[in-house]
Amino acid sequence: MSGHFKPVASWRFYLLLGIMGLVAAGLAGFVVWLNLFEHDFLKQQGDVRTLRVEPITAHRGMITDRNGEVLAISTPVVTLWINPQDFPKTADAVRQLAQAAGLSPVNLAQRLKRYVNHEFMYLRRQMTPDEADAVLALGLPGVHARDEFKRYYPPGEVATHLVGFTNLDDQGQEGLELAYNDYLSGEPGQRRVLKDLKGRIVRQLAVLKPAEPGGDLALSLDMRLQYLAYRELKAAVQQHHADAGSAVILDAKSGEVLAMVNQPAYNPNNRAHMDPESLRNRAMLDLLEPGSTVKPITVAAALMSGEYTPDTIVDTRPGYMRIGGHTVRDVVDHGVLTVTRVITKSSNIGVAKMAMALPEDAVWGLFSQLGMGRATGTGFPGESVGHLPPNTLVDRAVMAYGYGLSVTPLQLAQAYTPLADHGQLHAVSLLRQDKPQSHQVIPPKIAREVLEMMETVTQKGGSGTRARIPGYRVAGKTGTTHKVGSTGQYTSEYRAFFAGIAPVSDPRLIAVVVVDNPRGRQYYGGEVAAPVFSRLMGGALRMLNVPPDNLKTLPQKDLPTGSLPQDVKVAE
Amino acid sequence: MRSTAIVLKLKALRARFPDLGWPLPSTVVWQRALGDRWLLVSALGLLFMGWIMVSSASVDVAQARTGDPHYYSIRHGLYVLATLITLVAGSWIPLRLWQRYSPWALVLGVMLLVVVLLVGREINGSVRWIPLGIINLQASEVAKLCLVIYLASYLVRHMNAVRTEFRAFLRPFLLMMGMGLLVILEPDYGALVVMLSALLGMMFMAGVRWYYFVGVVVLAIVGMALIAYAEPYRVARMITFTDPWAEQYGAGYQLTQSLIAFGRGHWFGLGLGNSVQKLFYLPEAHTDFVFAIVAEELGLFGALSMLGLFVLLVARIMLVARRAELRGRLYGAYLCYGIGVIIAVQATINIGVNVGALPTKGLTLPLVSYGGSSLLISGLMLGMVMRVALETDSYQPKAPRTQSSSRHADARTSSRRRVPPAGSEAPLYRQPTRRASRFTHLGDH
Repeated sequence: MSGHFKPVASWRFYLLLGIMGLVAAGLAGFVVWLNLFEHDFLKQQGDVRTLRVEPITAHRGMITDRNGEVLAISTPVVTLWINPQDFPKTADAVRQLAQAAGLSPVNLAQRLKRYVNHEFMYLRRQMTPDEADAVLALGLPGVHARDEFKRYYPPGEVATHLVGFTNLDDQGQEGLELAYNDYLSGEPGQRRVLKDLKGRIVRQLAVLKPAEPGGDLALSLDMRLQYLAYRELKAAVQQHHADAGSAVILDAKSGEVLAMVNQPAYNPNNRAHMDPESLRNRAMLDLLEPGSTVKPITVAAALMSGEYTPDTIVDTRPGYMRIGGHTVRDVVDHGVLTVTRVITKSSNIGVAKMAMALPEDAVWGLFSQLGMGRATGTGFPGESVGHLPPNTLVDRAVMAYGYGLSVTPLQLAQAYTPLADHGQLHAVSLLRQDKPQSHQVIPPKIAREVLEMMETVTQKGGSGTRARIPGYRVAGKTGTTHKVGSTGQYTSEYRAFFAGIAPVSDPRLIAVVVVDNPRGRQYYGGEVAAPVFSRLMGGALRMLNVPPDNLKTLPQKDLPTGSLPQDVKVAE
Repeated sequence: MRSTAIVLKLKALRARFPDLGWPLPSTVVWQRALGDRWLLVSALGLLFMGWIMVSSASVDVAQARTGDPHYYSIRHGLYVLATLITLVAGSWIPLRLWQRYSPWALVLGVMLLVVVLLVGREINGSVRWIPLGIINLQASEVAKLCLVIYLASYLVRHMNAVRTEFRAFLRPFLLMMGMGLLVILEPDYGALVVMLSALLGMMFMAGVRWYYFVGVVVLAIVGMALIAYAEPYRVARMITFTDPWAEQYGAGYQLTQSLIAFGRGHWFGLGLGNSVQKLFYLPEAHTDFVFAIVAEELGLFGALSMLGLFVLLVARIMLVARRAELRGRLYGAYLCYGIGVIIAVQATINIGVNVGALPTKGLTLPLVSYGGSSLLISGLMLGMVMRVALETDSYQPKAPRTQSSSRHADARTSSRRRVPPAGSEAPLYRQPTRRASRFTHLGDH
């Protein structure tokens, strides 16, 4: 307004500048304080909020058969989970999510409501990575992914009783998956990661402990034989309207289990409709009275005592015999028999008389030595030990033809290994083995004599002629037992057995076939189990390229012209 | 033919501007066009650093919100370009125009503050933005500049009265109370503090009696305390910032996250782009808390560099203002004092909030934070400062400078003087023979 302009005194200017400078210095001081002096505290506070230790999932080991064929394998899958706190509460978001994840929108909305105060809820477990990516692509907040492994069993129900299965958390629940769970699952590792506020991993900072993948397990199974056994057993169980069945094939030279199948079975990859009855590995869990199939062992004990030879005469007349209040019967009166014929005809009275004539420990002792009533040592979960009766006279007589004691089909097969391999007992093994565990229990000569007696079973006049295999000499023993009912009494239901060894000239395989409660007109072991054995064993021998030792029985048209046994041997 | 013509023309140009650098023009050219070299350097530094840091801080937020990680980066880059254009354009607008239309500026400012209350968009509980299609205009940003434009002219008109009469001294405060009320209704207390500070700073530099001034400052502090006390959530915020760790997942959450950012930074930071706090931990990392991200990614070094740029910028503005005042260019001087205080206070509050020295307020860091209104207004303010520098340097006082300053020309007379646009043929720009010569009159008068 006036021409008398006068700038303000410079102290004002410098005061203003000074205040500004002081404020700036104060701010600089704050920054220095925070960045340098509070560094440790603040960094630690930050780490508490952002650094997390995450598990590294260890890859579960593979289970294969003896040739490396996969029986159980883990594949990466993605499990989606939700933090309900973060998830938008709109019906639209729920519908979108349910559609992408393949869930029912109503159900999902209910679950979200139930978990509304929680911070974790599974959305869907074990999706394929593609499916999960489709859901994550929606970008809905609060939806997270977790990498997991899912177990697949390529053979399906064929090997499932032995292999078992894992649960959703990749822990073994049944079979060898359970038995070797620690070995297979390995050690999960740990890593330190940086997470953003939404819980997503931004950076991996360090691996604190690497994950140790589980070991691979090679079973003794040969899947070729396993498939064959499965097919033949299933067909037989269906044909005879039986309740159940088991079949075991052992390598006669090592005791390794080459095949082990049971009916009924289930698909381990989809257990939604599994019947608990189908879950049992009957070949190792079910205790059965083996019946006549143990007679060769009783005979072996008799021969070992020195009081019997294969040609010793045994009088089985008149077809029944009373021992202390108990009547032993044969199907018919077989008359006077040699020891060999006792086996051929499967005379209960014959073996009972022999057992009673022997020193009291002879039969019981051999049975026990052959592993009956003893654990096999496979470590299979829930495997039955079996039971031998007290060593009294009556029990010995009854035990001689297979009653009063209980064994598993696998134990029965194991008990046959000395007969097949020069008196050497091989401990059975579910895993592939380089060196069998064996020891001599029967003199080789006697083992051979018993084997040849058993061969007569499949020959003309024997009880197991249907177990014959063209081209091979087969030794075996039929068995038919009454099942024990729930009251402890014998019922009119049967169990058909056949246990056999082939080829007789140089035994390679031992097989046991059990058919439980065949409801057809046929129920004898020789009628029901022997044909299964024949197909099973015949197929197995051919698959393993075992040279035939009985070319006479081959149909002539199958033989190449002018072929000789020597030629076949060369072909091995 | 043509090429020789160009060469000749270039030779003529270089003859006319002997200090023109080649091939790049020297800062002298900038000065001819804009005004103050260091001002420009610090402003460009802040804009560039701001763009880099906003880009870095917003990557994940942008990805999450828009699906495009560069969404904020690109927008901020465009705003920076627009800001530079505004700055240059602002430096071309003669001060007399601002002075002449300053009442209209005030009307515009008040109108915007009213309009925002009527049609504004509510974000985070405050109505601060007027939607204008592509950009949301922050009304208080414009209003505070309008206030400064008007106050400067008021102080020039009533200089003597303001220095002597209590009524003339009180009037601007009444105006301020009216605008302050509108701002409180939004509510935007940060803007209120900024506007009040600008008013106080300008009044102080206009020569108000110091005891009036002290009284007003005390009153202002008491008033602000009352306002804060009246609203409980203000009190909660007030209390929180003194010990954010007591309520680290409640009211103190944002501040603790900001402090963690500083602590992580240490000497040289985690490296550009490596901030952890920007991963959704620190809300508003690219707007109000970008300084914390600077400290985290570039460490103490980066944070102090940015603070230093602000100090340089504000110091230059204040020096431009003082120079203008000494040359008798009062309107420009008061304008620059106001702008300098606005930028200083806004930066102080923002950084103070970031480091936990001040209670949380929604104030952006000028020239750095993401936000179009703030950037453009800052650009315009700096353009005006440039203009002041330009006019001061090209203005030749009629009378030779003597000890008696009473012979300096009246500001109003000088503002009517024709001021040709920069770059015209008239020897507008007087290159000081010695750098010190510009400020030889900062002494007592």
